[in-house]
Amino acid sequence: MIKAIFIWFAVFLGAFILQTTLVPSLAIFGVKPDLLMLALFMMAIKTGVMPAIFIGFIIGLSQDIYSPSVLGQSALAKTLAGFFAGLFNEKVMRLDPVILGIILILTFFVNDLAIYAVQVVKSGGSLGAVAKEIIGPTFPRALYTLIFAVIPILWEQFSVIKTRR
Amino acid sequence: MHWIIEFIVRYRNFCSLVFTVVLSLLMISSPENRQLATVRFLTTSVFYPLQFIIDKATNISNIYEENRRLRQEVVVLSSRVAAFQEQASENDRLRGMLNLAQNFSYDFVPVRVVAHDPSDLNRSIVINAGKNQGVLQWMPVVGEKGVVGKVVQVMGGLSLVQLIRDPANRTSVMIRKSRAIGILENSNGKDYYLRCRSHENVAVGDTVITSGLGGIYPPGLHVGIVVRISDSSDPLFKKAWIKLSVDFNHIEELFVMRLSPQWSAFVHEFDSLGFTQ
Repeated sequence: MIKAIFIWFAVFLGAFILQTTLVPSLAIFGVKPDLLMLALFMMAIKTGVMPAIFIGFIIGLSQDIYSPSVLGQSALAKTLAGFFAGLFNEKVMRLDPVILGIILILTFFVNDLAIYAVQVVKSGGSLGAVAKEIIGPTFPRALYTLIFAVIPILWEQFSVIKTRR
Repeated sequence: MHWIIEFIVRYRNFCSLVFTVVLSLLMISSPENRQLATVRFLTTSVFYPLQFIIDKATNISNIYEENRRLRQEVVVLSSRVAAFQEQASENDRLRGMLNLAQNFSYDFVPVRVVAHDPSDLNRSIVINAGKNQGVLQWMPVVGEKGVVGKVVQVMGGLSLVQLIRDPANRTSVMIRKSRAIGILENSNGKDYYLRCRSHENVAVGDTVITSGLGGIYPPGLHVGIVVRISDSSDPLFKKAWIKLSVDFNHIEELFVMRLSPQWSAFVHEFDSLGFTQ
């Protein structure tokens, strides 16, 4: 249990460092992968709903503090994203890599939907603009992150196959 | 109270979600000044230490990058320094040769050494000038420090130079101070000596120059200095050991002196006597 906590702490710390140092240089037309979201997704799939909710909340809160936005906005979004991804916990169901990729993309949509919903409520805006914002940047960002997700997803599948043998 | 705990444990996922969502909504709906106070509190108490660790980790990665960049710069600068040193060295040599060319009123052909004799004795060199540049057989070859040898074979654009260190090369030399004349000899390709009469006034440190006899080298070209005097097997002679002034292992730029041998006027007479060059 303690070992798992340390491992996940290291994963999130590494993702945070990469997100703030390396990832900006990987931007293509302003679209960057979200390694923190990927780490949250992987943790949610591995550990389940409750840890994903709390970790999502902490990650979101840290993003709220580091970025000048409404306090609680990212916390709420990441909490909901963690909850959504945690529903597909591998202890409950075994999914193949393609489905996992689709769930990752949907997790991005849940996250961004919550963010834009808060934005609409706090500062006004039409639902049409929210829809446009979500379809515009969210999908490319999710796809770009999906490229980075291939390695951990395949690694996970490989380790499962090895364990079964 | 008990049923509340039981409810929370039973529906812990749902309760966790509700708790964090409510907390988030409370933060979102709180006034701006309270949000700022919360941010300040969280920054100083929780995130500042984390940021400190991240900054350190980032700095370490920057140090590695900087170290790599500096190493690359060191390599580039080292190669540039080596090139500058080479140019400075060449500059010194060429200045020396220019002085030499100005000190003598002969016509000089500047040449470069293109090949050395691969043997240990290093008896000859090949220079990058030949008939096309007006080089002829028996022309003396000099460097900025003194006489090097003579051209023994001429091709179109190359010539073979026999060095004075070659044991087969007999050069007539003279002690500048005492004017004692002798033949530069060596037995093993390393130790050179001049056999001169016992009564001649020869001392260590005396300069040895070409005598001008023999018809190939003009008089006065620097050959070396006397480093030791020793007795000869013949009591009438003594040996003055000479250190040659030219470092034959490091010759690069030289001059061919455009001089015809003094005996060239008598070459037909030599031919009639049956001598071959």
